[in-house]
Amino acid sequence: MSEREGRGAKAPVALVTGAASGIGAETAAMFRRRGWRTAGIDLRLSDTDLSLRCDVTDAAGIRSAADEVAGQLGGIDAAVSAAGYYEEGIDVCDITREQWDSMLGVILGGTVNTCAAVLPHMIARQSGAIIAISSELALAGSTTDLHYVAAKGAVLGLVKSLAAELAATPIRLNVVAPGPTDTPLLAPDSPWRKADYLATLPLGRLVRPDEIAAAVYYLATEGVMYCGEVLSPNAGAVI
Amino acid sequence: MAARTDGRPVALVTGAAQGLGYATALRLAADGFAVAVNDISADARLTSLADRIAGLAVPADIADPDAVRDMTSTVVGQLGGVDALVANAAAMEMGPFLSQDPHIWWRQLEVNLSGHFRLVQAVVPHMRPAGGGRIVLISSEWGISGHANATAYAASKAGLIALAKGLGRELGPQGILTNAIAPAYIDTEQPVREYRAARRLRSVTEFRRPDAAVVERLVGRAPANLVCSVCFPGRFL
Repeated sequence: MSEREGRGAKAPVALVTGAASGIGAETAAMFRRRGWRTAGIDLRLSDTDLSLRCDVTDAAGIRSAADEVAGQLGGIDAAVSAAGYYEEGIDVCDITREQWDSMLGVILGGTVNTCAAVLPHMIARQSGAIIAISSELALAGSTTDLHYVAAKGAVLGLVKSLAAELAATPIRLNVVAPGPTDTPLLAPDSPWRKADYLATLPLGRLVRPDEIAAAVYYLATEGVMYCGEVLSPNAGAVI
Repeated sequence: MAARTDGRPVALVTGAAQGLGYATALRLAADGFAVAVNDISADARLTSLADRIAGLAVPADIADPDAVRDMTSTVVGQLGGVDALVANAAAMEMGPFLSQDPHIWWRQLEVNLSGHFRLVQAVVPHMRPAGGGRIVLISSEWGISGHANATAYAASKAGLIALAKGLGRELGPQGILTNAIAPAYIDTEQPVREYRAARRLRSVTEFRRPDAAVVERLVGRAPANLVCSVCFPGRFL
């Protein structure tokens, strides 16, 4: 990375799914502040240098989007799989097949499709870093949101396996598993925003999305010693 | 455990035709359970196992939601309820991530994770009125550590570990205790050459045979306060 910058070449490129809001948006903003060029993939337009609209469950669509990013910007140096959504308040026996399949399709499927789309580019250049966004809820469990928990848990197994599979190359894969984070994913009346819940957190507050982005950026740049790691900025929710 | 149709508590074990599922069925039967044994086909191993332990053979494809519902109805109807579920059936197909067929890839998620989730959904309504139950999800060491060329299998097994923690939290107050087991390599029939080769490097020799003792501890004579745990038999770390 520094070698490339030292030669005065173009700024590195970060591809971020879910870039239109929340952790994805904050991550894209973090990369931009650090001098990167950013490509955002989301259902909606994102505040990135190259904003593409695509559903992460569309494998072919994501592949085309990644190809366009590589073609227009010259390559993909980092990819962040942050596309996702959250549902809670559903008894385990009431989670419908559609709710389960949709959650698994977006959270796990979206990460699968993103990795499959960017890895050929990274392998061709023998360089790159991928960070997937999982969740502290997959590490510690949760209630009334078990389709989310299972999907975020599956992402851990996928990324660790890929990290091992690609360990002989310079391409690195890791995970950030955020604890409760102050993004629109948590509704204004969400139980995660209530005072009695916040009081249970050792740090007494939600994590900020820019703090999550900092962990992602670290793994994408300096964190060359990490392979299949899971960093969980969670205000002490899980110690 | 509730006493059921013939006085015995009821356990349902998936993937019971061989390996850990087979060993588990034998153990639980010896502990006094009426064991419903499932595998994907009604082959002679399954039916003779059921005969041997005075249990019930309930073949079904775990990935098929209708078959899972019908199987649960059959178990409840014939044996009186479900007190313990051992979710052990697994599909495994190894290969490099970038060259795997998506249907083969996702089939492993459908069987191992989604199918067993739907089975849990089917049995929990029968555990609740009984005042409690036991759920054991059989994951894998690869669900914790991942493994090259096993992305789907590892993803499904990692999903099961997270699910075990979620089920443990959500159902624990209802007396339904969920735990997971993540065994190191077991000498079963999963016919994968690379799997067998890796086994020579990392397994603890004396644990190569499928040993249902840990499952038994989480089901039969289970501590009443063990929930959300993940046990790693055969693993060094």
